[in-house]
Amino acid sequence: MLGSRLRVALTALLLPWTVQACGPADDARPDGSRTDGGPPDRSAGAISLSDADGRWVQLPGPAARVLSLVPSATQTLAALGAASLVVARTDHDTVSWAQTLPSVGGGLQPSLEAIVAAKPDLVVRFAGPQDTRTPAALDELGIPHVGIRPDRIADALDAILLLGAATGRAAAADSLVRHLQAGLDSVRAEAAGREPVRVAYVLGGDPPWVAGPGTYIHELLELAGGENAFADLGSLYAAVSVEEFLARDIGLILTPDAGRLGARVAAGLRVVEVGDALEFPGPGVAEAARTVSGLLRPGGRP
Amino acid sequence: MSRLGLGAALLAALAAAVVLGVRFGAVDLTTGEVLAALAGGGPEWQRQIVVDLRLPRLLLGALVGGGLALAGATFQALLRNPLAEPYILGISGGASVGAVLVLALGLAGATSWALPLAALAGAILAIALVFRVATASGRTLDVRVLLLAGVVVAAFFSACVAFILSVSEARTVQGAVLWIMGSLAGASWSGVGVTAAYTLPAAGLLLTLARPLNLMAIGEETAHYLGADVEKVKRTALALAALLTAAGVAVAGVIGFVGLVVPHAIRLLVGSDHRALLPLSFLGGATFLVLSDIVAQVVLAPTQIPVGVITAFVGVPLFLVLLRRSLIP
Repeated sequence: MLGSRLRVALTALLLPWTVQACGPADDARPDGSRTDGGPPDRSAGAISLSDADGRWVQLPGPAARVLSLVPSATQTLAALGAASLVVARTDHDTVSWAQTLPSVGGGLQPSLEAIVAAKPDLVVRFAGPQDTRTPAALDELGIPHVGIRPDRIADALDAILLLGAATGRAAAADSLVRHLQAGLDSVRAEAAGREPVRVAYVLGGDPPWVAGPGTYIHELLELAGGENAFADLGSLYAAVSVEEFLARDIGLILTPDAGRLGARVAAGLRVVEVGDALEFPGPGVAEAARTVSGLLRPGGRP
Repeated sequence: MSRLGLGAALLAALAAAVVLGVRFGAVDLTTGEVLAALAGGGPEWQRQIVVDLRLPRLLLGALVGGGLALAGATFQALLRNPLAEPYILGISGGASVGAVLVLALGLAGATSWALPLAALAGAILAIALVFRVATASGRTLDVRVLLLAGVVVAAFFSACVAFILSVSEARTVQGAVLWIMGSLAGASWSGVGVTAAYTLPAAGLLLTLARPLNLMAIGEETAHYLGADVEKVKRTALALAALLTAAGVAVAGVIGFVGLVVPHAIRLLVGSDHRALLPLSFLGGATFLVLSDIVAQVVLAPTQIPVGVITAFVGVPLFLVLLRRSLIP
């Protein structure tokens, strides 16, 4: 139990912070955009978006200068015909068309100066707890931002619809989502009649980091005729012991980079290096499913 | 080196660091553009970079760096331990538990203040816990028990962080690692205001304790006979130093090395008189962290290096040179 003097002292010490924390909520920006938790404004021309953090973001109109901190979102913008709206890239964007754009550094804790210099009217960032400093700073700077978190296939499709709405390309986004769903259905139907292959997606390391349930990769594996050997993992991605790994009777290891696999993990097992084919949950989702399905087919080769 | 000379040199260095920090950053701006932005002219994006990003980051760096170095000098004096540094009482561990807990529970996005508030609360909890243990045996505060309690509490909080992260999602781990590495990237005017509200009064009060700290350096008993209220000085100085550390860690995460190396370096240059050591440590810490952060921003721009990496890369060789010089007769 804390003594009463200690409680008073703690209250006094926390006061300057609580005064700040309880200050007025963010108001609408001078340009009409707002990024707060309030309900959407229905004024004419305005675009209201609900992002993956559950925040309502209101834009005065379609975004014309977009800065994506999420590589899959950068690919989505290109697939929607909005590549010309992209004003900067991160160091992790591998698509060739973006290489001439200025970089803002990493997707997490990017350079705020570089973001401001790019003059975006919308920043697309990672939702969730990875980087709490960037959204707070963007709020302070008055730059509208939306968070996306493409953990699952449905999240990736939702992100496409969100970015379509944000850039005034809702119809193109609808069409792209329908096309991708048809592609995924076709892979699912083709894989349905096959004997499932026990497969693990290993990010690397020793002990190995594997993809568990609730991930985009898990869904791709299961949809394409695989059985994720770590479907019972307690979290999205986790390191498992080598002993546990070897006991799972794995028929195929998929990995982005075979060089990052520990020798004890790969010993005696079929390993296929897939590069970053499964790393971008975006418009390439149907193609990624086809790639995995091909590898899981009897006699399938990379 | 004379105290006044070093003070003047550090003030000049801090002023130069601020000028450099306003002039150079991740984005190339000309001197004319920077001056125009400072005068309220030029394009809005340039004003945002200079006024809303660079200036608060410099001020936050000066406050946090100065506070950490001053806290380090105080802990080294009170604990009479050359390895004492601001995080020795488990303050960074407590702050880390607060921050990591908020991240793991998904509360970090609720408000931009959730994480620093949780970190500050964790740091204060650690301080309270360590002080409670150190005073449990009676009315006096035994610094040996305090030191031991600090180490144990730090180890406990470190285990708590490891446990929370081991059952958390990868993205929580990523967020926690980024926070724990320490950064001034989240600097804002409101953050500067809150940090100043803690740091400046605490630093001012600590400076008034310089003379009794000189007496304490001889030994508690001697200090008592020479008229110092030993218990009061110990409690006040430790609480203020802990508060300085807690405020810094709440806004900038755990930035190592400033609080350990800067006071030692100043001591090697001007001796152990706290009337000079404390203010010069504050100035030295402020200058050191501001300069380190400029390097962290520009060396691989736009990619930002954790500022703690720079403080260690620059601080270690600098300190070793000073140490070597002091050993040569």
